Amino acid sequence: MIWSRAKLSPEVRLLLDRERLITVLPAAARARALSRARAALAAGVATRPISSRAPSAARWAAAAGLACVATVTVGAAAYELGLRARPTAAVAASPRADTAPLQPNVARSLVGTLPVTPMHPGRSAILRDHAAREELRLLQQARAAVAGEDFLAAKRLLAEHARRFKTGRLTEEREALEVRTLAGLGRRDDARRAAADFEARFPRSPLLLTVSQMPDSAP
Amino acid sequence: MSHLRLAPRTVPLISLDDSCLGAFQQELDYVHRSFRRLGVMSFEVDDLTQDLFVALRRSWGTYDPNRPLRPYLFGFAFRIAAAHKRKRRREVAMGIGSEVDDTGPRPDEELQSKQARAVILAALDRIPLPRRAVLVMHELDDVPVNEVASVLSIPAFTVYSRLRKARRELQAGIRRLLRQVAGE
Repeated sequence: MIWSRAKLSPEVRLLLDRERLITVLPAAARARALSRARAALAAGVATRPISSRAPSAARWAAAAGLACVATVTVGAAAYELGLRARPTAAVAASPRADTAPLQPNVARSLVGTLPVTPMHPGRSAILRDHAAREELRLLQQARAAVAGEDFLAAKRLLAEHARRFKTGRLTEEREALEVRTLAGLGRRDDARRAAADFEARFPRSPLLLTVSQMPDSAP
Repeated sequence: MSHLRLAPRTVPLISLDDSCLGAFQQELDYVHRSFRRLGVMSFEVDDLTQDLFVALRRSWGTYDPNRPLRPYLFGFAFRIAAAHKRKRRREVAMGIGSEVDDTGPRPDEELQSKQARAVILAALDRIPLPRRAVLVMHELDDVPVNEVASVLSIPAFTVYSRLRKARRELQAGIRRLLRQVAGE
């Protein structure tokens, strides 16, 4: 340990010491995490044992071999299709990743004016990230509307989410909120139908128990 | 068959579910922070924390309580974060900004401390995940090299090698960030 730390400068060690302290989570975040854990237990965590260890070296080697074969195959196919003759004008016209607009919260950041290009992200990666944030924003607004019992607003937001992100990464959460919203609007039959659809679509969801109780638990 | 003795029946006082949940609850802060150190964005931490709990519960029966819990949990966190990154390709430049929308204001922390943490996280973000995991375990969690090697299933020599490179990267990254902050 001493051997390893001797290589770090005092200023870096000072920063590491600050980061070493584990801050206590806000009560709401803690309650949310524990509630989700209990929901996972109630829904029945799969009993298939998994290892906390990494896959063996042999498996990694096999995967690397497969990746090499796949790369060669794709390369050959691309060559055959003439992709190597890609027009240079198109390349020049394509926007550079590092000129893409930064996220608003990056600008708000304390040290957010630093150049943020650690991994040289491609344009598609940035677009995906924008989409993920937008999807999350919509769901957070819908969740806040449900919490404030403004179910009409929640319904509108969920409809917008469904229109824009039909198969988004938060579809499961959206469908769960949909059940709660229908129940809140007093449309209990619709809520039961939606809960049944949810169960059919996400049979292993940790939200299943909660969702199944929603139609009858709403005021 | 006199050598066959009936062993005293041991009745577990609490169920595996309860003990797993108790351990999870006890180390929840650590799990959250580990995910952040591994480059998981703040709004994704909740989902991955739940994944970790599910994985933890599945293998809780094989956990040896004589071994330290945190490295065991970190092993799960590392693999879940790595799988998440592979799946989502989220190695997009979020860097320091993602610290701002963290889990709400922390009045108990000074601004300086927050800034220091933001710089550390930003510098860690620039280190590839396998090396970052080794660095976090050894330098931040004080896990001995042999334990790091055991948890991550890599040779101790590889741990030393990754550690050396990661320290260099961390040092360079922090210096660069501090220079830029000072130049503002």
